[in-house]
Amino acid sequence: MTQQPEGVRAPGMLPKRILVGFDGSTFAEHAFEMALTLAALSGARLGIVSVATLPEPPGSVETKATIEAATEHYEAIFETLRRRTEDRGLTLETRILVGHPAEQIIRLAADTHVDLVVVGYRGRSRIREWVFGSVSRRIVNHAPCSVLVVRSQ
Amino acid sequence: MTDVWARAALWLGLALVATVLSIRLRVATALSEIVVGTVAQLLIGVYVGQALLGTSEAWVTFLSGTGAILLTFLAGAELDPTIFRTKWKESLGIGFVSFLVPFLGCAAFAAYILHWTPHASWLAGVALSTTSVAVVYAVMLELGLNSTDFGKALLAACFVTDLGTVLALGLIFAPFTLRTVTFVGVGTAAMVVLPWLTPRFFRVFGGRPSELEAKFLLLVLFGLGALATWADSEAVLPAYLVGMVLAGTVGKDHALIRRLRTVTFGLLTPFYFIRAGSFVSVPALVAAPVSVLGLLAAKLVAKSIGVWPMARLFRYPRTEAAYTTLLMSTGLTFGSISALFGLTHKIITQTQYSILIATVIGSAVVPTLVANAFFIPRYLLPQPGQDQPGSADAALDGGNS
Repeated sequence: MTQQPEGVRAPGMLPKRILVGFDGSTFAEHAFEMALTLAALSGARLGIVSVATLPEPPGSVETKATIEAATEHYEAIFETLRRRTEDRGLTLETRILVGHPAEQIIRLAADTHVDLVVVGYRGRSRIREWVFGSVSRRIVNHAPCSVLVVRSQ
Repeated sequence: MTDVWARAALWLGLALVATVLSIRLRVATALSEIVVGTVAQLLIGVYVGQALLGTSEAWVTFLSGTGAILLTFLAGAELDPTIFRTKWKESLGIGFVSFLVPFLGCAAFAAYILHWTPHASWLAGVALSTTSVAVVYAVMLELGLNSTDFGKALLAACFVTDLGTVLALGLIFAPFTLRTVTFVGVGTAAMVVLPWLTPRFFRVFGGRPSELEAKFLLLVLFGLGALATWADSEAVLPAYLVGMVLAGTVGKDHALIRRLRTVTFGLLTPFYFIRAGSFVSVPALVAAPVSVLGLLAAKLVAKSIGVWPMARLFRYPRTEAAYTTLLMSTGLTFGSISALFGLTHKIITQTQYSILIATVIGSAVVPTLVANAFFIPRYLLPQPGQDQPGSADAALDGGNS
């Protein structure tokens, strides 16, 4: 039997750990719904991570204010998502990190050996994508596991 | 009053433009406001007239000065006294050297290479000795190092560096008369009494809609600010110290800090940073790019000479030592405060001020870029399937933030 690298599961195996990258947008909501369904079907542990992005260069006092505001914002959303998860008989593990969204999600996925990262696709313009980069594209390229990019209809 | 309201509307309009730009471009609001101030003054100067912004009007100066005082107070209040107490040796060592060597090095560069006057050279040293606590804090959080001994010591060291900067700014240019002695004496007494008095006073009278806490803090800051300027010192010096000594009490009252931030960012700091930007002379910058690059290089080299050996002395691995050095080479807020102090006290010329502001902005951006490009500790770059030491707690290991 061929040994799989950690985080990469054999084709056909259901994921045991699913991580959702969540930015509060409608696209992320759709990604969460998809991850919730997958977790309910497979019995996987479900985690969600949001990332507070700071301005460059981080300014005095503004940095803490940005982190506090983001934490408050995401915690309120997580509370709602947690109830929805519990309605399906699952638990939701949450995390708020600071930095670049793609880097932080990739790092967390590697640290926790998740075998599926689920993110939404924003469908930004080419110019915005060129200037700021695409979070989902970077995750697909560098994540240590499978990545599901959920496109909204 | 029509003039005042119209002018206030113009300033807030510029502040709004700066904020929208900072959101769209994801840059710090302070940086955006400085640049908007520079561009606005340039355009208004060409098409309408230099005086339209009214940067020397008393009320503009007051709002701008209050912005600097409150921002400095809030920056000081972010200190974590517990961390400082546990890591005081490393923090004092790295923080003091991180202030002293760039202070002397940049002053020497300004004096001997750029041939600035002694006072202007000292001011250049002060403005470029700073370290951006915010930059270091953000990077520590991004890398999950904020909870490590390394991260804690480094953060506390940044406060020591900035304390060195504000002490130098407040005392080097003071004439050392009886007034200076009075200021130092009353200031020291206030720093001893305030941590005891403030929480007790707030416990008895605070927590009401009349915002007693804000009034009390403003009274203290304005009172000590008046004393500082009476002694020909700088009002941000006592503000930073008051913030530090109240960090363990007022600094932990999140609701109060948030209300103060609202006033500070919503009204006051736009006046400060836009005004600071409006004094920048673009033609002077265009004429002297080498001076900007030279001072930036002097700051980086001086920080390296000071911080790198000290970090190695405290047994930081090479990569972490280089990373620490570069992060401690950043600076924005205190650098711009020092430069504006120099201009308004006629210690430096507008050309020198413009060079210093450009260097300070450069020092906020360049070291972080270099650090992240070349010296980021390798284990922070995850490889597929590789376990990452020193990482953050994981959501899927049950750690909720």
